[in-house]
Amino acid sequence: MRLLLIEDDELLGGGLCDFLRVDGHAVEWARRLADIEAYRDEPFDAYLLDWQLPDGSGLEWLKARRTSGDVTPVLMLTARDLLDDRLRGLDSGADDYIVKPFAPEEMVARVRAICRRSAGSAGARIRVGDVEVDLVARCAWLGDARIELTSREWSVLEALVLRPGRIVTKAELERLVLGFESELASNAIEVHVSSLRKKLGRELVETVRGMGYRVGVAP
Amino acid sequence: MRQAPSPSIGGRLARSLVLWSVLWCAALGAAVWVIVQEEVDELLDDSLQSAAEGLIGPLALGLTEPVEPSTLARAPKTSGRFTWQLVGHQGRTQLAASARGAPVAPLHDTPKPGFSDVPGWRVYGQATGRDGQMLYVAQTTEERAEAGTRIALAALFAGAPMTLIAVLWLRSRIRSELEPLADLSQRLAHYDPMQPGATLGAAEREELRPVHAAIDALAGRLAQRIAHERAFTSHAAHALRTPLAGIDAQLAVALREAEASHRPRLQRVRTAAQRLQRVVVALLAMFRSGAEVQRSEIDVVALAARLPVEGLEMEARGTTPLSADADLVTAAVLNLIDNAQRHGARSVIFSTPAANVLRVHDDGPGVEPARRRELRAAIDAQDYAGRTGLGLMLADLVARAHGGGLSLPDEASGFAVELNLGPR
Repeated sequence: MRLLLIEDDELLGGGLCDFLRVDGHAVEWARRLADIEAYRDEPFDAYLLDWQLPDGSGLEWLKARRTSGDVTPVLMLTARDLLDDRLRGLDSGADDYIVKPFAPEEMVARVRAICRRSAGSAGARIRVGDVEVDLVARCAWLGDARIELTSREWSVLEALVLRPGRIVTKAELERLVLGFESELASNAIEVHVSSLRKKLGRELVETVRGMGYRVGVAP
Repeated sequence: MRQAPSPSIGGRLARSLVLWSVLWCAALGAAVWVIVQEEVDELLDDSLQSAAEGLIGPLALGLTEPVEPSTLARAPKTSGRFTWQLVGHQGRTQLAASARGAPVAPLHDTPKPGFSDVPGWRVYGQATGRDGQMLYVAQTTEERAEAGTRIALAALFAGAPMTLIAVLWLRSRIRSELEPLADLSQRLAHYDPMQPGATLGAAEREELRPVHAAIDALAGRLAQRIAHERAFTSHAAHALRTPLAGIDAQLAVALREAEASHRPRLQRVRTAAQRLQRVVVALLAMFRSGAEVQRSEIDVVALAARLPVEGLEMEARGTTPLSADADLVTAAVLNLIDNAQRHGARSVIFSTPAANVLRVHDDGPGVEPARRRELRAAIDAQDYAGRTGLGLMLADLVARAHGGGLSLPDEASGFAVELNLGPR
């Protein structure tokens, strides 16, 4: 998953970035609201949003994003634990709310859950034709056979599976999988898609000529 | 301690009203009695005098010489309560009314004009103008007293129902006038100063207006204080929670990246950091207004084993599970054993001497009985500043948050604290 972390605390932000990257995710880190402008047109699977930021309220930023039609799942990370705060956060467009201090493992599980729900799946496994994708174990099953995937292959598959039935452009997929590294390898996505087709069947990832790739149909 | 019932305003007013009504009745009765007696006496005296003046002409005609008692002329009978005599200058009765109980002997031996009293009679004497002859007209004192009593009682009986009606009406008024106080109590019971624009509303009586104003002002100050406290807690929470989350995230990464031989040590550090998180979160929750206790079953053995303390032996003896907020209890116990360690204890024993009561007993030097009494008094009064340490204060606050309290039992050695964690 490609995640945008918006957190001003260096210790926490650095720790979460490292943890998420070690976990196989692409992470961009904005320390202030102003820094988010650099990612305005970038695709993300989820935002990890702190409430209190040095140059404004994360909650107000979220409201503005929702008003502008951004439906990217949002997990609020905040020290505010009062019931009123939690209600305000959720009612302002957050998909989930986690109170500091928290274990990063729990945070990642919550991110997976909100992304899964956003893709229309309640369970940890998403079925696409003959293939079953396990978002927790980070692997795929073809029938009864567990298919091992490389980290990049998994990232491509995950990005497509979390957008079922939607055409994902190559550029978007590159950003989702590689982040800003995508500029360094222009054919990386084709290589990983090809590899996925070899392992999971040609029908899994559909190429929409001139537009991009698609997995499954919309829920 | 059971609080003695407070005196009732309505009861006190009613008692005062009844007392003053009785006193008023008694005073009124006495005044009526005295006035009536005087007026009746005066009236009866006037009657005696009028009767004497009416009798004197016909009775005195031709009777100038004294007569023997055996030949004493007797006039027609009177009621017995009224009599008259004609007494000659020698002091002998010449003519007297014939009445049962009327005296034959002269009422006065020597001429005595005007009003006078003899035993049993009120007498009016008037000279007939014939050689020292006197006419005495008399009425029994019993009759006069009876007349006075009848008139006084009639006045009292007429006044008593009015007094009773007045008492009942006043009692009803008292009850009705006290209703605004009951209404004020009801409003206070549902009064939440933290609600925006909260006010008690208009006072129903002029006398209650300052009370309403004072309560609204007090509530305003309270709301402001709570708002400040919440703001402070929010800032403090942010300042504490974020670094704690950062420490845990960094440790989580370190655990994943570290060599296998370093992982157990890192895991212990992370576990301790997570306990610290729980304690800090518990303390923040405890100091925030309106915090709720999250009860769960606590295994005291596991609790003792989890405490991140080095250099202190901890043992749980014959314990039963507690029902309490694990984070709050951990925070309290951590501070208690920290105290024990600082005072030289080397071991701590945890036990549960009663249902939902946790005893923490260390083998330190303990305190003198006088000091223990001082500590107990400070805890009972919740007056901690300068009288108890942070550990006892936190432990007491935690116990009270659970609906219980803290006690310091006498021990032959060491120092013991019992946290009563309220009903399960």
